[in-house]
Amino acid sequence: MHALTHYNTQPAKPARAVVIGAGGMVGSSIVRELANSDIPTLALTRKDVDLLGAGGSAQLKSKLSTDDAVVFVSAVAPAKTAAQLMANLRMAEAALAAFAAVPPAHLLYISSDAVYADDANPVSEHSSVAPSTIHGMMHAAREFMFRSEYRGPFAALRPTLIYGARDPHSGYGPNRFRRQAAKGEPVTIFGAGEEKRDHVAVEDVARLAVLILLHRSAGALNAVTGVATSFRDIADIVARQYQLPAQVKSVSRPGPRPHLLHRFFDITQCLKAFPEFHFEPLEQGIVRVHREVLG
Amino acid sequence: MSRPRVGYAGMTHLGLCSAIAAASKGFATLGFDTDAALVARLEPGNLPVVEPGLDDLLRANRARMVCSADPARLQDCDLVYVAPDVPTDDNGGSDLAGLDRLLELVLANTRPDAVVVVLSQVPPGYTRARQRAGRLLYYQVETLVFGRAAERATKPERFIVGLPDPARPLPAALGDFLAAFDCPILPMRCESAELSKISINCCLVASVTVANTLAELCERIGADWAEIAPALRLDRRIGAHSYLAPGLGLAGGNLERDLATVLHISQEHGTDASVIRAFVGNSAHRRDWPLRTLHELVLSREPHARIGVLGLAYKENTHSVKNSPALALIRNLTPWTLQVFDPVVPASAAPHPNATGAASALDAAGGVDALAIMTPWPQFRELACADLARVMRGRLVLDPYRVLDAGKAKAAGLDYRTLGVA
Repeated sequence: MHALTHYNTQPAKPARAVVIGAGGMVGSSIVRELANSDIPTLALTRKDVDLLGAGGSAQLKSKLSTDDAVVFVSAVAPAKTAAQLMANLRMAEAALAAFAAVPPAHLLYISSDAVYADDANPVSEHSSVAPSTIHGMMHAAREFMFRSEYRGPFAALRPTLIYGARDPHSGYGPNRFRRQAAKGEPVTIFGAGEEKRDHVAVEDVARLAVLILLHRSAGALNAVTGVATSFRDIADIVARQYQLPAQVKSVSRPGPRPHLLHRFFDITQCLKAFPEFHFEPLEQGIVRVHREVLG
Repeated sequence: MSRPRVGYAGMTHLGLCSAIAAASKGFATLGFDTDAALVARLEPGNLPVVEPGLDDLLRANRARMVCSADPARLQDCDLVYVAPDVPTDDNGGSDLAGLDRLLELVLANTRPDAVVVVLSQVPPGYTRARQRAGRLLYYQVETLVFGRAAERATKPERFIVGLPDPARPLPAALGDFLAAFDCPILPMRCESAELSKISINCCLVASVTVANTLAELCERIGADWAEIAPALRLDRRIGAHSYLAPGLGLAGGNLERDLATVLHISQEHGTDASVIRAFVGNSAHRRDWPLRTLHELVLSREPHARIGVLGLAYKENTHSVKNSPALALIRNLTPWTLQVFDPVVPASAAPHPNATGAASALDAAGGVDALAIMTPWPQFRELACADLARVMRGRLVLDPYRVLDAGKAKAAGLDYRTLGVA
């Protein structure tokens, strides 16, 4: 896919935004950001539309209008098995059937940086799409499905590792470290925690999604900060948030050290697409999330 | 035979510089162009290009040079170079239609015994495909360097000449003319000569890409490329004149054209050209260094930033803005206010809704939060760092080509950033 281009050179609110998958961490953040931007929004969760159910496509069709901007963020997660992969593809297929009947004015798919080849470094929107996991393959396949069958402007936003106060998973990184520290447990890193990764705040992903809707953009954009930080450094940042700083403890790796040791991103395309948008630096984001969780 | 009369068809950069160089070697020279307005401008000696020493060279040899828009004048020439600049698109693809039209015109208006030489940059196969019975059509490599064109045209390192049959001697008019420059002459088959030009440029790009790749690494690990490059230049396998200065990717259009040509031909013939794709990728990456650095240090913190840009031309001593890194930067600074200055290129060339032209380099720095020196014009070296620090609102100075002295800039309190060092 090409890098992002804007159909609206000046931002203009869509008549309505429809968020499919509004119940999840990313979907709900996008709904909040749309509200902040005063964009009329229809937030659809699985309770409203079950894309894996018999009438999913018809349910969605009945709720759509041709001047809608649709954000598709719904997924069966994790996608680690063939069955999970196929379920996710069937969801996209059902959505495309609804879009064929009522084509929305704009479609944004929330994808993942897992679509890129492991050896791409630094990764940009021009890097090859060559997923090495079923999860990445699922997102790549859905992008291809939407791009080839939906005829309007289509954008794919590809976030890297996401953190936020409402994260339901406890994946290795800021979210798990925070929960460990909050329970008074040591923050555990694998080996020396030397792998460097890019972590993006869910609020920044949501802000980018809304910018894409406002500009009616088409193409691919990575939701990444351009700064890669080692897990050791992240653990230290999290540990410092507590009055009695949490202990950072190294544990042996569950398996061999990952093939993908470091992943850096080149965010030049984002600077060009949205020059006034800037990512929240990781330490600042971790401090903010810590305060939000404490209330 | 008596000294050949030499004609140049196409009075743009290449043809003009080459014609003046021919006159400087004592040959009666015709500068022909179909554009009568251009010829009218050239006749009194007004050159449309900026090249150090070229105006003086023309003045000194004016008596031997005639400009005309009348193709009948080509009948007098024993040797005619067809030398229009060949335009390229954004992807480096050549538009050969103008060259083809001019070549046809020259062949139709020259004597059958006249030697016709294509001097423009063409893809391999061009010259052989246009051979015709009873005519002498050759190709010669041009090695014009923007900003050093007069020097390169009068003192070439060598001549590379493409012939349909390299076993046959050079025609007398061409041999006599080239001999006057007193440098090696390398005759070879047309395809080799055409690919020589591309090979030279690929080697230059390879050197520049090595410099750019390792300069970026220097910026991260505490090394300084300015300390490393002289060591490389003393290595005979690399060479004293090798292209090792880091820069903001490829610009000007000619190198990009040759890379595009190699990619195109290699695709057609199934050869591996992955290294060429890597050159192109690295060039695009480094071009955006000023944009990334400005965002990181100023634009992410200062929503109402005012930016000064010194230089619009793609390099010093030229008016050309083809693929200019300055314009690439300016295009992506739309939300902010700009003050620009270039000694030759007007501020109106800046693709920006809110850019004002400054009267001088120092004026362009007045009140700015950051200053980017995007073209290494010699006169920018005369800027005093203390003056910049005094007139600027912010401290950041981006100087990719090391126009200023880093020590003096830091001593003046400026936040000085350049390529190849942290």
